[in-house]
Amino acid sequence: MKVKNTFEEYKDQLSADELELLSSFFSEFDAHVILPKKERVRMRKDFQNAILYYSNTGIALQTALSRLDLKNLGGFYARPAISWYPLDDAAKIYPLSMEHGRMSVFRMSAYLKAAVVPELLQIALSFTIKRFPSFATTLKKGFFWHYLDASKRRYAAEMEILTPCQPISVSQSGSPAFRVMYFEKRISVEFFHVLTDGTGGMTFLKCLVAEYLRLIGIEAEDKSCVWDINQSPHTSEVANEFANVKRPKASTSFADKEAVQLGGKLTRHKPHRVLHFKLRSDELKAAAQRNGCTITAYMLALMFVAGKFATDELSGDMSIQVPINMRKFYPSKTVRNFSMYCGVRMPICDITDISSIVKTVSEQLTEKAAHESVSKMLTSTERLVNSLVWVPLVIKLPAARLIYGFMGDNSFTTTLSNMGIVEMPKELSEHIESMDFILGTAINNRAGCGMVTFKNTTTLSVAKNTVDPSFEEKLYELLCAEGLSVEVEGSERYED
Amino acid sequence: MKIKIIYPDTAKHSSGRRKLLKILKWPFLAALIACPIVNVCVGGKAWSIIAVAGIAMVWSLVFAPDLVEYNRLSQSVKAILYACIMLILIDVFLVSGWALLVVPIVCLGGLILSSVLFFSDCRKQKQNMLPMLFLVIIAVIAAIAGLFIWKDEVSWPFLAMGGAAVAQLIACIIALRGEFIRELQKRFHIK
Repeated sequence: MKVKNTFEEYKDQLSADELELLSSFFSEFDAHVILPKKERVRMRKDFQNAILYYSNTGIALQTALSRLDLKNLGGFYARPAISWYPLDDAAKIYPLSMEHGRMSVFRMSAYLKAAVVPELLQIALSFTIKRFPSFATTLKKGFFWHYLDASKRRYAAEMEILTPCQPISVSQSGSPAFRVMYFEKRISVEFFHVLTDGTGGMTFLKCLVAEYLRLIGIEAEDKSCVWDINQSPHTSEVANEFANVKRPKASTSFADKEAVQLGGKLTRHKPHRVLHFKLRSDELKAAAQRNGCTITAYMLALMFVAGKFATDELSGDMSIQVPINMRKFYPSKTVRNFSMYCGVRMPICDITDISSIVKTVSEQLTEKAAHESVSKMLTSTERLVNSLVWVPLVIKLPAARLIYGFMGDNSFTTTLSNMGIVEMPKELSEHIESMDFILGTAINNRAGCGMVTFKNTTTLSVAKNTVDPSFEEKLYELLCAEGLSVEVEGSERYED
Repeated sequence: MKIKIIYPDTAKHSSGRRKLLKILKWPFLAALIACPIVNVCVGGKAWSIIAVAGIAMVWSLVFAPDLVEYNRLSQSVKAILYACIMLILIDVFLVSGWALLVVPIVCLGGLILSSVLFFSDCRKQKQNMLPMLFLVIIAVIAAIAGLFIWKDEVSWPFLAMGGAAVAQLIACIIALRGEFIRELQKRFHIK
């Protein structure tokens, strides 16, 4: 005898009208989803699970089906995948330099006020991904360069079971270069850097969270700060802006002298621990203003002092890498990589206390993050890429791995990537507690820091690659000494 | 500093593969060094070259698989090309005189296998076409070279291999039509 599944049992309870409604919903589903059978069955099951969730929470079928309206799928799953995207200039290095167990992955998370409903997150992802065609891709090898090939499939939202920022398997046919996860009240998205940078990643996370909250039943009136997922993607959103901007003729060198590394043995498992320092944005802003600098410069000064405490080296330079969003200088809507970086460098012997170094840090940051300086780096990137155009990938691959393995991130002590303030519509903000941003890209650096501000909470996330806790302990001590209220959240130490 | 734990316990999910690789790396390295040393000490034919190539082949195919495009078509083509290289090395360094016959036949087998894999799931496998295309091109070049250099010795294996390669290419173009050109544009783009 065939055993009825839960959805069949649910259908048994429905009235004839409701059954007809459901039947027409799923016949419409068949017109919207023309994927291979296995994928189609899974997606159908996703919708069934969502309907069951709504039913269990007392939401009427009509309301449920209106929230799950299949027009949100658009034609994405009904059309064959034909588009492809050459990698942007910044992304080209990532597949060349990745190795087994090492990949440039970053994570962005939103912390909601209620536990995440996996059934609705899955639907939110299925609805959202169509707006980001360059994410709905798989990495492929060309003869000269890698590229992103469109991949129409069911993208899965999964329960978080791994350490943050673990390599994403991109080797199989159609495998995506990002993952969406949930854990308790947190929705996280991890991206292989080949797809996007922090700005693009955050645009996606905002859309995903907004769509998830809409499915929960929270609508926003003014959605101007979140992309409309039902609008057609525009060419400019997937553009390689490196190729479109006017660059100066002068270039700059990528190579810099080696920087002092923080102490402690590198762990095999990276990151070894993730920590989030949750600060009050108003207090942080006031502290930065007291020191006459920006929040980024102030945080850099704190990191220099904490860094000095976390190494036994008495000479040499400490250098902190600061990614720069090029959209500041060249307004663009692209969700591909469009960032450069600069390095703020200080002799270790000059690092004493915050007030005495903050001016130098601020001046360096202003100078090195200026339009002219980063534009020179843009020119260098373009020249490097152009010089390698005709070199087959089979030669580029081992050469890049050798050079990257040799140089790695030795010219920096650590990184601070400040995403700035993230805005969400007011109605949605009320249901979001905070956000965080984790950098998981280090090779030899013992720590990588990401910072993001949402409402009045600034979260500084530190991904540690050593057991030695002196950096974070000193950072905490400094923050407290500056009169800031700090809450620390994070992971256990991961098994090495 | 009091830390509130907000991440799941991942102790159970530590990578077994990574541990296995770490353990296996050493015997592989030891064999890689020991083979040439023993070969030089004992003397005789250069069997260590074949041993070292075999170790590299096993490591590449089994323990350090491709990070991008690890699929049945790419792995089959890779295994066939490695096998052909191994056969040529054995012929050159150990027992000579049979490779001209055997290698084209093995390559022909590889072409047939890749055809089966490709045409059995053409829609999905078109994304993985490049390795097969390489095998076809190599087979055509090898067939032309073979027929030109060894025309008086053995010709039919080269003819069979070259013919199969050309047929496979034509079948591929017919099956994919416009998409074939699009696939080539992607694969050979320089942007």
